[in-house]
Amino acid sequence: MTELLVDPFRLPYMQRALLEVVLLGVLAGAVGVFVVLRRLAFVADALTHTVFPGIVIAFLLDQSILLGALAFGLLTAVLLAGIGAHRRVGDDAALAILLTSFFSLGVVLVSRARTFASDLTVFLFGRVLTVDRADLVQTLALAVLVLAVLAALRKELVLRAFDPAGAAAMGYRTVVLDLVLNVLIALVVVAAVKAVGTVLVIALIVVPAAAARLLADRVASMTALACLLGVAGGWLGLATSYRVSVDHGVRLASGATIVVVLVALFLAAASAAPLRRLAEGMVRR
Amino acid sequence: MSWLAGTFSGGFAQRALLEAIMVGGLCGVVGVHVLLRRLPFFTMALGHATFPGVVLAALLGVNLFLGAGLFGVLVVVLVAALGARERVDDTSAVGVVLAGAFAFGVLLLSAQAGFAKDLTAYLVGSIVTVQPADLATTAAVAAAVLAVLAALHKELVLGAFDRSGLAALGYPVLALDVALLLVVEVTLVASIPAVGTILAVALLVAPAATARLWTDRLGATLVLSPVLGAASGVIGLAVSQHWRVAAGATIVLVAAALFAVSLVVAPRHGLASQLRAGRRPAAARPAPDRAA
Repeated sequence: MTELLVDPFRLPYMQRALLEVVLLGVLAGAVGVFVVLRRLAFVADALTHTVFPGIVIAFLLDQSILLGALAFGLLTAVLLAGIGAHRRVGDDAALAILLTSFFSLGVVLVSRARTFASDLTVFLFGRVLTVDRADLVQTLALAVLVLAVLAALRKELVLRAFDPAGAAAMGYRTVVLDLVLNVLIALVVVAAVKAVGTVLVIALIVVPAAAARLLADRVASMTALACLLGVAGGWLGLATSYRVSVDHGVRLASGATIVVVLVALFLAAASAAPLRRLAEGMVRR
Repeated sequence: MSWLAGTFSGGFAQRALLEAIMVGGLCGVVGVHVLLRRLPFFTMALGHATFPGVVLAALLGVNLFLGAGLFGVLVVVLVAALGARERVDDTSAVGVVLAGAFAFGVLLLSAQAGFAKDLTAYLVGSIVTVQPADLATTAAVAAAVLAVLAALHKELVLGAFDRSGLAALGYPVLALDVALLLVVEVTLVASIPAVGTILAVALLVAPAATARLWTDRLGATLVLSPVLGAASGVIGLAVSQHWRVAAGATIVLVAAALFAVSLVVAPRHGLASQLRAGRRPAAARPAPDRAA
């Protein structure tokens, strides 16, 4: 057990990677709860594709990728509202076209470089083992910010999730709340870009929260569980990819391994859920 | 014009051009059905899920269509099974399966050397390295798909607009649905050399959506959409050669640009004409009758 879970992390770069995925697990898990509760997986997925060119542009211009991602995240939110409302173009089609065209823009920009294939791969799938102290500080700052906003707005966000009509009737600005959530998702994407890349970050957001949904009844416990599962997936995924690479010489991409572990945890939760309800039923009797 | 002709001299460029036209046209036709049945989200998911199937098939030396097709079916079953459970809603189920399948595909590829190049080719296409064998495959797939769509045209259209009506008439509705999904899957796989799995959905949705902005008639849409798709392919390829950027992505950008422009200028359904229409009724109001 320790050989798998502890030994790999004696190395400094593995320690930094671990810290990064732990922070991300908490961050993405917490935001993921609202994405899952509001069935926004597709919108969240779209956002991960549309902030990609923002990140590339910022990177090419040597600007803060945070700003680039935010700019494109806001642009997406506006365009989504506009195009989706058009009669002849359904929500789905609008989203698909928006998503792929923005993504293509990012690909075109990256492709100007000679090292196109590897650059693209790093943006899309991350390279968590190259995380440095500056990245950790940024992730920590983003995590603190996002969690603070979630904590401050949790009542409103939960109300919006379960009773949108009620929330609007009570005078809450649902448009603003939606925009805030979109911005939070964009921030998670930025935080995750170096570790798991833009394509896999959707897994960090959706999978732990979906698994927690199966096992928890209240938003508070669901959030705690989502964060826990996110951290567990990150830890186990990193450890596994390290062990397999070192012991068996099979190079496994760390980000992808983390996602596969998270999905395995989800499937375990999916099979445990009926048993749990059975146990609950018996206890209540 | 000579600029265009100059761009397409040279063996690889001509092959790429042919591939772009065929894929653009095929996706245009199939895309009309994708829109009719509101399948863009599903097609997106299918594209992501097909990716590991393609990787697996390539690694095992199995026929790409077989590998991708089988995986696509597996994913559909998984999503249906997960989504049917009470606490997992459809969108999250698709999200989970998508993410898992994609990560699995990346994992498989990362275990190989030369990981980044292959991954990129599967994700965003590599049309300039298209071989004559790929061209033959695309042509064969296009012929087969068009034949199926033509043969089942009436049933597919009726099924899209009035599912219960189709069932009442005694047609096997589920079988027809599955047939169309298979057509979409096969088209997706055929598009991989040109635009890769992630971007293929763009060619399946944008030209058809653009065509729908210009005409109300299904027949006209079925002609306009492949024309737009093929045009996106040719223009995108030419531009990408000129600017030396990724071809597949440029093709998608052209298709999206055509859509965006149509969104504004198309008569009747475009934004510009709708704004004008908003003002016309006011001008048509008769002057107040002072005689009363």
